[in-house]
Amino acid sequence: MPWVTVEPSGVRFEVREGESVAEAAWRQGYVWPTKCWGQADCMSCFTKIVDGELSAVPAGTEELDAMRLKMVARVRGPMVRLACRLTVKKDGLVLHKQGVRVPEDVPNSNQAITG
Amino acid sequence: MTVTDPRTSTPAKVTPIGPNGEEVTSKVPFHMKDSLHVPAERYYSREFYDLEKEKLWSHVWQMACREEEIPDPGDFVEYEIVGKSFLLVRQNDGSVKALHNACRHRGTQLGKGSGRFPGGQIVCPFHGWRWKTDGQCSHVFGREGFSDGVLSRDEIDLPECLVDTWGGHVWINMDRDAGPLREALFPVADILDHVNVGNMRVKWWKEVVLNCNWKLAQEAFFESYHVKQTHPQLYTQHNQDDADETNRSLPEYQSFVNGHGLFQGGDAQRGSTHGNATNLLEMARVLWSGQDAMTLERDLWVMESVSGKVDPTDPQFGLATVDALFEYWESAGIPAYERRPEALKLWGGDVFMFPNYLMLPMYNNCLCYRVTPYNDDPEQCKFEVWSLTAYPEGNEPGRPESLGRFDKDDADHWGLIPRQDFSNIERMQQGIKAPSFTETRLAAKWELTISNMHEELDRRLAAEY
Ligand code: FES
Repeated sequence: MPWVTVEPSGVRFEVREGESVAEAAWRQGYVWPTKCWGQADCMSCFTKIVDGELSAVPAGTEELDAMRLKMVARVRGPMVRLACRLTVKKDGLVLHKQGVRVPEDVPNSNQAITG
Repeated sequence: MTVTDPRTSTPAKVTPIGPNGEEVTSKVPFHMKDSLHVPAERYYSREFYDLEKEKLWSHVWQMACREEEIPDPGDFVEYEIVGKSFLLVRQNDGSVKALHNACRHRGTQLGKGSGRFPGGQIVCPFHGWRWKTDGQCSHVFGREGFSDGVLSRDEIDLPECLVDTWGGHVWINMDRDAGPLREALFPVADILDHVNVGNMRVKWWKEVVLNCNWKLAQEAFFESYHVKQTHPQLYTQHNQDDADETNRSLPEYQSFVNGHGLFQGGDAQRGSTHGNATNLLEMARVLWSGQDAMTLERDLWVMESVSGKVDPTDPQFGLATVDALFEYWESAGIPAYERRPEALKLWGGDVFMFPNYLMLPMYNNCLCYRVTPYNDDPEQCKFEVWSLTAYPEGNEPGRPESLGRFDKDDADHWGLIPRQDFSNIERMQQGIKAPSFTETRLAAKWELTISNMHEELDRRLAAEY
């Protein structure tokens, strides 16, 4: 299974075949910023490829259309991807994303509200 | 035929209830008066349609999706029926939930079509409220803005339907007090288990929208009496004088409890459904090219290999074909079923599962139809067609996607057989509104599964919930 590294935190995790980077992060309990939880809607998960570009599967039309329509221009760029649509074919991908970290306590994704 | 209910191991009553008494008919407009006529208004009246919405669809077990449409935890598919939408969501433990598809805040639909909830979270696109895939609310955005009591747990968790699975399908019932699925599907699910339809997976599926009431559309597939006129290319394979009007393939028709019915023509003795066809191989080719569902290319290969040894016009060809098919499945690792008369009889048969699902098994394949009202219009329906087949173990295809919606006369996407059927169906809807046309009249010998369905429908419409 391929590994990805995320700067600046240096977090490293495995991504399953066909699984997106964001989903892999959530599954393993890491925080990856999001508001829509993987619907290619909120753009919060955007990330920049800083190395190992050939390890990434190129963006499909859904991802490209979503970024063109919903991503602010200052964020867009040739190396910018949606982590919730970014899949990986081999080791060596290095991404940059602020806010990716090991959760302090419980992953916020599954923190049920009480009451 | 004796059918034993496997749940109780005591013979259950399979025979239909028959015409309804005053306690039912007094409550239903345009009710069935006898089993030989169907009042025409049942196919276009808005009043009748609204009653179906309230009393039928809200309380009946219905086929919501195929299991393989949602293989992994977090996968979802939307099921819509008479303007109500549900999300079928695969759970972490492999079970399926059917969640009401409406945000508990201001009602926004939470999912459309099909897809995944990859983070295990369902998020409202309007204000970002969130639920876990089991429907439990996990986040209310800006909680502090709401008054006490507005956000109690039972108010904000997503309500669910009853869910159960059978035959590779997910079935739902909006009525949380409904009885078990297998009781509702009795006895037709037990009958279809003879050919193990649960082993089959989707090969392709697509849909057409027809200008026709949903019941009228499905009834076109309740009998084979129409085959000679509608599908001449199938009939000319039979060794029969053109002047002879009797359908020599003599299918047997059976009506059951719960509104179900079937016809089957299988000649269990010879092991062939095409008892009277002069050339079984030619017949199979026409079925494959005209439909590609009941007979598939791989079945043709098997038959062609048999034709090297036995002449296809020889009466022995049918039996040799059955042998060859069972041998092929075994050698290819394709799960099959026990070779019993009950199974072979179903080949080429047609099983109606009340209220709106049909399964037509053949060999190790099954053609399926689901007909649902469309656009909240009594005179429109969505007609979906599935081709199912059994695959070699471990070689089942992945998550299937609908090929799409195609026009009824699109020859690139519909074979000759469905195009012939679709074209009659819309003409029927127009015809039944003729001023002189008050009711259809049915053949006691071939068409009573139609009235059996309507009589069950009346009982549903008269029920007090
Ligand atoms: S998680 Fe929202 S766009 Fe990727």
